[in-house]
Amino acid sequence: MAEIDQSGGGKKGGKKRSKKASTKIDMTPMVDLGFLLITFFMLTTTLSKPVTMQLNMPDKTDTKETSPVKLSETLTVIPDEKGIYYYQGIPTEAGTKLEKTNYSKDGIRAVLFDFKKRIGNNFTIVIKPSKGAKYKNIVDFLDECAITDNKRYAILEIDPDTEALIKRSGL
Amino acid sequence: MPKVKAKRQSVSLDMTAMCDVAFLLLTFFMLTAKFKPEEAVSITPPSSISEKKLEGSKGLITISVGSDGAIYMGTDDNNARTAMLERMANRFGVAVTDQMKKNYYASEIVGYPAGAMRQVLSMKPTDAKNKGLLKGIPCDSANNELFLWVSYAKLANPELKVAIKGDGNSNYKVFNQIVGTLQEQNINVFQLITSPEGKPK
Repeated sequence: MAEIDQSGGGKKGGKKRSKKASTKIDMTPMVDLGFLLITFFMLTTTLSKPVTMQLNMPDKTDTKETSPVKLSETLTVIPDEKGIYYYQGIPTEAGTKLEKTNYSKDGIRAVLFDFKKRIGNNFTIVIKPSKGAKYKNIVDFLDECAITDNKRYAILEIDPDTEALIKRSGL
Repeated sequence: MPKVKAKRQSVSLDMTAMCDVAFLLLTFFMLTAKFKPEEAVSITPPSSISEKKLEGSKGLITISVGSDGAIYMGTDDNNARTAMLERMANRFGVAVTDQMKKNYYASEIVGYPAGAMRQVLSMKPTDAKNKGLLKGIPCDSANNELFLWVSYAKLANPELKVAIKGDGNSNYKVFNQIVGTLQEQNINVFQLITSPEGKPK
């Protein structure tokens, strides 16, 4: 222990004693400060941990034959700043119906769940972000894919046909 | 019978042991704490439910996108940083002085067109930031300097992983350009840095 034994000796031969100052110091403020700093470092180290979302893109140089996907099993979504469009089929055909929803729980998530239930495990999502889309919109949508447990998706560039379809629908 | 006197106990207890533990913990947390490096721009990444940790024990390239679409790049591999500067300076014919090197290492990120390299590196990173010289790395088909920076970093350390930290409000077009640029170098796996978010039930 850090205390120094001062009791030894006693009265011996009536020697003169100089008054000894206590060697004990009050450590309370030091401990207080110590714990305050510990709390600070503990909170700062655990709070700012970024997480990541992994995104795999196809290999551009790889020309291997890819497995074909049925048109009836795919859904094309177009994330945009103001909402999210989706359709099934070919954009140039007159019968293709474009619909619009939002990024909320009852919006795109419900749609994805619905399609997944109807189509099954082969459900594939084609993502064609619009020109005005923000980065946040894409991440939100990829997040929805993760929430609804859809792993089959591909990010493509938007084509003029799809843009024309959005314009035509007037949504 | 004589009365048994209860020995009075001291109220001051010995705090040495507690103090020892406290400072041991303090030292531990201080040494393990990694301070956020000063960022050229403040970036608010979008949130996701993902729980994956950032992976890059063998080195990591972080490409940041500001809300205005400016691209910044940094790496935690010092060999790669040195190689990047040397090769870029060589390519664009910039003579690098010791002072410029010092300023280069003082900043975590690279975020200027190669044409402004001499000017930016001749002053301290904070001054360059205040003067608005950190305009981002050009990354379009006519002048793709991001391609060069990344390929030089990858030359120095092929194990480097790529993380993209984009501001939620940046345009998707910029992100698409970055991904396209990296795919040309056969980098196909990206880690998108996001802030954590609760998983919905």
